[in-house]
Amino acid sequence: MICNQCGERPASVLVKQKRNGQLTERHLCHVCAAENHNLNLAFEQDPLAIHQLLSNWFPVQSPTVSPVQKEISVCPSCGFTFNNFLKLGKFGCATCYETFESNLEEIFKRLHNGNKEHTGKIPASYGSTLKIKKEIEELRKQLKNSIEAEEFEEAAKLRDQIRELNKELEGSANRGD
Amino acid sequence: MAIDRFLEPKASSWMANEGENTDIAMSTRIRLARNLSEFKFPYAFTEDEALKVDKAISSVLLDKGKDLDQEFTHIDIHEVSSLHRELLVEKHLISPHLASGVHSGSVMLSKNEELSIMINEEDHLRIQSLQAGFHLQEAYKIANQLDSLLEENLQYAFHEKFGYLTSCPTNTGTGMRASVMLHLPALTMSQQITRIIPAISRLGMVVRGIYGEGSEALGNVYQISNQLTLGKSEYEILQDLQNMTEQIIEQERRAREAILSNSPLKLEDRIYRSLGVLTYSRLLTTEEAAKCLSDVRLGIDLKLIEKIDMSILNELMVFMQPAFLQHYSDRPLSPNERDIARAKLFRERLKEEYKINGDKEGEDSI
Repeated sequence: MICNQCGERPASVLVKQKRNGQLTERHLCHVCAAENHNLNLAFEQDPLAIHQLLSNWFPVQSPTVSPVQKEISVCPSCGFTFNNFLKLGKFGCATCYETFESNLEEIFKRLHNGNKEHTGKIPASYGSTLKIKKEIEELRKQLKNSIEAEEFEEAAKLRDQIRELNKELEGSANRGD
Repeated sequence: MAIDRFLEPKASSWMANEGENTDIAMSTRIRLARNLSEFKFPYAFTEDEALKVDKAISSVLLDKGKDLDQEFTHIDIHEVSSLHRELLVEKHLISPHLASGVHSGSVMLSKNEELSIMINEEDHLRIQSLQAGFHLQEAYKIANQLDSLLEENLQYAFHEKFGYLTSCPTNTGTGMRASVMLHLPALTMSQQITRIIPAISRLGMVVRGIYGEGSEALGNVYQISNQLTLGKSEYEILQDLQNMTEQIIEQERRAREAILSNSPLKLEDRIYRSLGVLTYSRLLTTEEAAKCLSDVRLGIDLKLIEKIDMSILNELMVFMQPAFLQHYSDRPLSPNERDIARAKLFRERLKEEYKINGDKEGEDSI
């Protein structure tokens, strides 16, 4: 048998490669085989061809979707459509995550063994803004209650506290941290 | 040129060989993927944005790197020849994707080559921490310190629910891929590895050899890494990988003992034949060299071979690759010429080794 790659030398190596369930076999000569497989265990290789998985799970939509649906599935920041994402298997920007959020839960559950929420490290700066946001939410609830109960003095205090926190939030956003 | 130091045929510190389990666990790597919130990700950004991202990240590192007692060299990928890029890939300092130079990208390397920060690879930022042997916690600590330093000075793309936002949904969450390179000759010889690989993949981790999943690895070197990045903390991911790796190491030890007690002469014969090939051959393909290196490594582990230091095998694994061979020879080489150069490299390095260890016989006969 002649080498499948160079078509010159006799094949001496059978390379079997299994990828996504598809087995390919190639007969190579010793020279081409050495060329093909250097020692580099590429650290960054995708463990699975992500775009293939995605398009199996979510058949790419036909271009004739209703105008409303189309609008929703275009990322306003980078212009990626959900179909772009499916075909490439990659997001175009951070906003894509929000644009496609309704579809992502399903994807993440499949990719990460049923998990859909991050529980690891939080950047220190996000940590503090997250905390402030949560505090503001809590105070708003209290404010609503005190207005309903007609405790206006208490309500005014709460309103001022919320203003303070909002200022802090803006401040940290402006400082860029 | 700034890059020169990283191209010398000298071992990086992660190729050293010290500590527990280094006979089986060759090296450990942690990779963190991060993006800056104000720029589009590399699959969608413009060349202009790419330059701004590069500037933003590299200036923080050049400026604040000393806070971590690190001094970084900034290497612009487009200013480096394709052979030099290939050398950095073969040393695991950059990825093939970055080397392909699709956008303005660069890499920041620490002096000891334990830290490599790729800018504008698949994500704006890829922090890589490499350690010799089996040191997941230590490698993570170093990567995490650098990450924390950067996040004080840059606004990362982060989402309350999804965590760190990355180009690929397989990295979303912690953005962390932790991996350990393992030399598993006995599990491969006894074919137990073919049962272990599918079992591990059900636990959110993956083992790969060079020919892809499931088949025999070149040089019996496998890489085990976490596949999940969402829903588990960094600590849990590292702990799971640590436990799994320890189990595999234990199984490899048992398989070695079994082979040694069942067919010691056959094993010894195989090891010494391979040492002979590496010491004397005139034409050496990558496959043959990798196979023989694996045997000789095993021989050193089993104390059958004592006149060779393990660390030179780690170096030879890297320096026997095509780009390094051409770099030494100072010219492009055809595949056949590479086999000649590879055989020469092994003969010369082993001769030196025999000289150091006072093996007169081995030295004279080469």
